[in-house]
Amino acid sequence: MATIHEQIDELLAADLHDELTAAERDGFHAHLVECAECRQAFQEGKNMNRILNETVAGKKADAGFEQRMVSRFRDRVPKRRGLISLVTDLLRVRAVQLTAVAALLLALAQMGKMITGESATSVQRRENSTIMSELARDRDTLGASRASGLLAKKDGRTDGVDVAAINQAPAEPPPPPPAQDKAESETPLPVTVYNTEVQRRQHSTAPKTKSAEFKDAEKPDAAADVSAMEMVEEPSASPSAVNPAANRKLIRNATAELEVPSFDEAIQKITAFAAEEKGYIATTSSEKQENGKLRGEVVVKVLPDNLDRFLGKLRGIGELKNQALTTEDVTKAYFDTESRLKNARLMEQRLMEILKTKSNDVADLLKVEKELGRVREEIEKMQGELKFTDSQVSFATVTIQLAEKNMNVPAAFLLKERATLALYAVEVEKTYNDIKALASPKVQITNAQIDRDNTGRISARLSLLLAPEESEAVIERVKGMARVENFQVNTQRVSQGGDGLGENAKTERDKVELNITLSRDEQETALQQTSLRIQTPEVNEKTKHLRAIAEQQSGRIRSSSFSRDPNGREYANVSLRVPMKNYSALMQSLNALGKVENVSVRRDDRPNSQTDEANAPADVSIQVYSQGNIVSQETGIWATLRRTIGQGAAALMWSVRMIGVAIAFLAPWALILGLVGWVARRVSRARAARKVAAEDKAGLS
Amino acid sequence: MDSSEQAIYRAAIQGDRDAFEAVIRSFSRSLFAIAYGILQNREEAEDVVQDTFVKAWKSRWRVRDAAKFPAWLSTIARHRARDLARRRRPEPLPEDFEATDMVEFEGSGQQADLDGEVRSALAQLPELHRVAVTLRYFEELDYGTIEKTLGLTNGALRGILGRALGLMRKRLKPALASTG
Repeated sequence: MATIHEQIDELLAADLHDELTAAERDGFHAHLVECAECRQAFQEGKNMNRILNETVAGKKADAGFEQRMVSRFRDRVPKRRGLISLVTDLLRVRAVQLTAVAALLLALAQMGKMITGESATSVQRRENSTIMSELARDRDTLGASRASGLLAKKDGRTDGVDVAAINQAPAEPPPPPPAQDKAESETPLPVTVYNTEVQRRQHSTAPKTKSAEFKDAEKPDAAADVSAMEMVEEPSASPSAVNPAANRKLIRNATAELEVPSFDEAIQKITAFAAEEKGYIATTSSEKQENGKLRGEVVVKVLPDNLDRFLGKLRGIGELKNQALTTEDVTKAYFDTESRLKNARLMEQRLMEILKTKSNDVADLLKVEKELGRVREEIEKMQGELKFTDSQVSFATVTIQLAEKNMNVPAAFLLKERATLALYAVEVEKTYNDIKALASPKVQITNAQIDRDNTGRISARLSLLLAPEESEAVIERVKGMARVENFQVNTQRVSQGGDGLGENAKTERDKVELNITLSRDEQETALQQTSLRIQTPEVNEKTKHLRAIAEQQSGRIRSSSFSRDPNGREYANVSLRVPMKNYSALMQSLNALGKVENVSVRRDDRPNSQTDEANAPADVSIQVYSQGNIVSQETGIWATLRRTIGQGAAALMWSVRMIGVAIAFLAPWALILGLVGWVARRVSRARAARKVAAEDKAGLS
Repeated sequence: MDSSEQAIYRAAIQGDRDAFEAVIRSFSRSLFAIAYGILQNREEAEDVVQDTFVKAWKSRWRVRDAAKFPAWLSTIARHRARDLARRRRPEPLPEDFEATDMVEFEGSGQQADLDGEVRSALAQLPELHRVAVTLRYFEELDYGTIEKTLGLTNGALRGILGRALGLMRKRLKPALASTG
């Protein structure tokens, strides 16, 4: 606790402001009596308090200050009406603000989705997740399989150790089962010296010490141990006895591709060569091509030393297209197998000895027998391997591909004709049936189809197969049934059994394929299209006259209509089709109907088709019309006024709609910007307040 | 704090204009003292008080605890006054320094000098000290009310005022001794 003297400033001020407790005041005044310095300070403080009261008090707010503040507040913050104030007050509630912002963001996101039309992201993510889970599952199974593999390996090892333990010490009681713990399964390690470490002597030291322990504990006989040591010595001797340079094991193979004038002759020659080189033909095969040429393969075995000479002789038979010679050195693998075989034989011998000498326990004997069987099987397998390699080495294999010359010359040619015919028929169905009636053994219909859709369009397709001698006559008959729009013939010469020019090959004519397309002539586009207007006061009468003219010129009316508008004008539209040959006569007679105006003609020439132009259709569309009343009913001041007001209202509505669109577009962005600004202002305020607080603290201390 | 006062604050926060006007009446003087303490200028201080109330009305929904309403008001006033003071910073001395002429203190020249010295000593105090001094000498408020207004913790004001007066006293020592 600080003394009064130290706290003089604080106590002095509090005393002057009458903020001391009674005890504090007593203590303070008692100290003043004692301490001259504090008394001096007290005097000064009192003076300053008086001066401050005099000077500062003069600056304080005047009497009307509060009222002034209230009235200015009223001026600056006018009262708001009910609904607006309610809405603004509501908006100040934090929960409402948060909800509004959330709704806005949601709406924006939805709008964005609608605009971009994307909804695939979530699906894609789900797909990804399934892929991930599959991957995870794969990894799990992999781990499991690896674990089980390890387990299997471990089992295998313990099994091996067990079996070997019997080899080592057959007179002992049975070894611990494989299910025992690791320490126990490791104890019979000396066996590894015998079984697997035979060819790796450098590792034998550590196991040997263990074998000593084993010996002490389990008392194996010394003979077994010594023989095990002998085994260790053995294999290092056998590879050193081999002279690698003198006795290499090489497998030689050759392949050759020959082109010969005659296959049989070549086979004979090859057989002779093989016999000369002390070889033999292993296999032959041959195959006859479509054009009568032969192709085949011969496999020859010859002595490796004679191989090069044999290949040289082969060149004499025909043209050598391709030749390859390969040599494989199997020396190392061969001698590895050989030494393993030697070891296995020793093992067999040893097992036999055990079987003869120490046969106390039946179970042990059975185990030894089983092991013996396994070793013998191994020996046989290795012997077989060596024999196979020997046979490979003692004879070289030559594979010869033979092909006769001019393999690709065609044997014959076939002339294939394909015709397409497009027809316009007045009655599609009748023509279709007529064509179908042509069927006979020499005229086969392979496909026939008729389509009619709901608009009345009808078309048919037929495919015919014609005997060559009948084809021309049939095509001519079909052409006569309807108007030909298009006819195409495609002839192709196809070589058989090869390509190129066959000098001796004969040419045959194949069946002719005919494809027919039938359409109704109404569907045909007109060769020439004409439109014109005729002005006449008697529309109805003239139209009737027009129909008569059209019929005269063997034309067909395709459509016609009649209408009258509010102004009393009459219109008749007639569209008709005539053959091209009657077109000009029709145009001539039209002049008699009235004043012909606005004539326009369009012609579609078809340069590549064999159209018969005189019968090709020409379309004419004619509008017959009258003048009508001169003055329209929809005129005058009122009509104009009505129209103007209507248009004005429409324009106004349009602008209102546009303003609405603009607001809907801009409002969310304005709101977001406002929100960001508000947050930024709050943050800067908070920072400033923190700074001031720090200043205050500094002032306090 | 009085529960009736709290009720008024709460009503004012919730948008009751009459309650808010009552708040204006009861706090405008203290806020004026605070603003004056910072700005040393009556007109500016008055503007600050006005702005403070308008702003407080507009953002009243931010106050969560009605008991802290006075402290919140004074914080707004201090911020605004400080903003204003910062804006006119280039001026070296308090604005009404030259206004301390002979009109108000026509007595002795010595008295006028003393007055000026007091003012400059006051101006050299830290802001919070200055505000505390003006609050005390303008309104003669008790320490508890001043603490509540400034948002200070219990008992801090005694130290602040003691230090402020002590600093001023040391600065004015010669003048005070002579007036003794």
